[in-house]
Amino acid sequence: MLLGIGEPLIGRLLTYDALGMRFREVKLRRDPKCPLCGEHPTITDLAIHRSGDAAACEVSGNGHAASAPAPAGTLGAKAGG
Amino acid sequence: MKTLKEMLAEARQVVPEQGPAEVKKRIDAGEPLALIDVRDPDEYRDGFIEPATNISRGFLEFRIGGAAADPTTPIVLYCQSGLRSMLAAKVLKDLGYQNVTNLQGGFQKWAQSGLPVAKDRPMNTEQIQRYSRHFLLPQVGEKGQRKLLRSKVLLIGAGGLGSPTALYLAAAGVGTLGLMDGDVVDVSNLQRQILHTTANVGRSKVESGTEMIRALNPDVNVIPLPTRITVDNVMDIIRDYDLVIDGSDNFDTRYLMNDACYLAGKTNVHGSIFQFEGMATVLAPNQGPCYRCLYPTPPPPGLVPS
Repeated sequence: MLLGIGEPLIGRLLTYDALGMRFREVKLRRDPKCPLCGEHPTITDLAIHRSGDAAACEVSGNGHAASAPAPAGTLGAKAGG
Repeated sequence: MKTLKEMLAEARQVVPEQGPAEVKKRIDAGEPLALIDVRDPDEYRDGFIEPATNISRGFLEFRIGGAAADPTTPIVLYCQSGLRSMLAAKVLKDLGYQNVTNLQGGFQKWAQSGLPVAKDRPMNTEQIQRYSRHFLLPQVGEKGQRKLLRSKVLLIGAGGLGSPTALYLAAAGVGTLGLMDGDVVDVSNLQRQILHTTANVGRSKVESGTEMIRALNPDVNVIPLPTRITVDNVMDIIRDYDLVIDGSDNFDTRYLMNDACYLAGKTNVHGSIFQFEGMATVLAPNQGPCYRCLYPTPPPPGLVPS
């Protein structure tokens, strides 16, 4: 990314299964209805993060934009870091 | 006999000019143009426009091939005030390059307009030895190493994901690393958070991490941010960085970083893990999806551990 070489994971999700020793790739697409980056954004500043509760994350959406079938059991949101 | 004035007038008839703002726009839009600084090397070293290659006027015809692969490659030339480069641009047009533009007013006007200029310090012997493995890679080379040394990366989280990232970026010679984490080192962290050591248990992760990074590579300027990222500080903090790496450990932060990076136009490298599985993607504003495209709503509390 910094050098501008290679193919960064833009629009791709790379998953790694350390037990199965397997890498998988899932194609990702932008969601035109995305409240932040879609065609009619409703989030234009960080105000919703000030509400102090989980409402900041609770925006009505319409499910996954991943176009490939999710590998069973692995495509849940993970927060671990 | 032709006068200099006449030569310049002749050149202006075939070489279009663009001002600093226009050229900056083209660069920021990611246009694959070849930006060439035709001044002498010592002028270039005192300050240049990113990402220009320096091919001094005398070598232009001989070295342009390396910078511009074919006659349709868009080329922008500049010099100190726009005159040398105007004559140089005419030469390129005569050579058959079809898309050549001169930066009106040159480096001087660019700098006076308040646009960013870059300055490289020449690498010392130790750096040349340290990064020698990068010089061997054709895709990197000395130019690439300089680019890394000029780069600024912000790491959100100095834990499980931030640790290896910080170490490898530091080793590679990324010049500025912002390290942001509000936690202290706990012994249970040491099973995977390799940025920290047993001796540092109880210390702030940022302090511990900063020390480790500096020991690994003193070239790196570490910006310690021993605090949690919040809606009040995020926009100010991310502003100065080229890239943001989100290795945070909770959903509130994930969504905050996503929104802030998108609004600020910053690319967000997103990684996460859970037990034996890991995921990585790059969230680049308007080039690919954002986190909300993928996960419009977070999981119900308690379903997925942070």
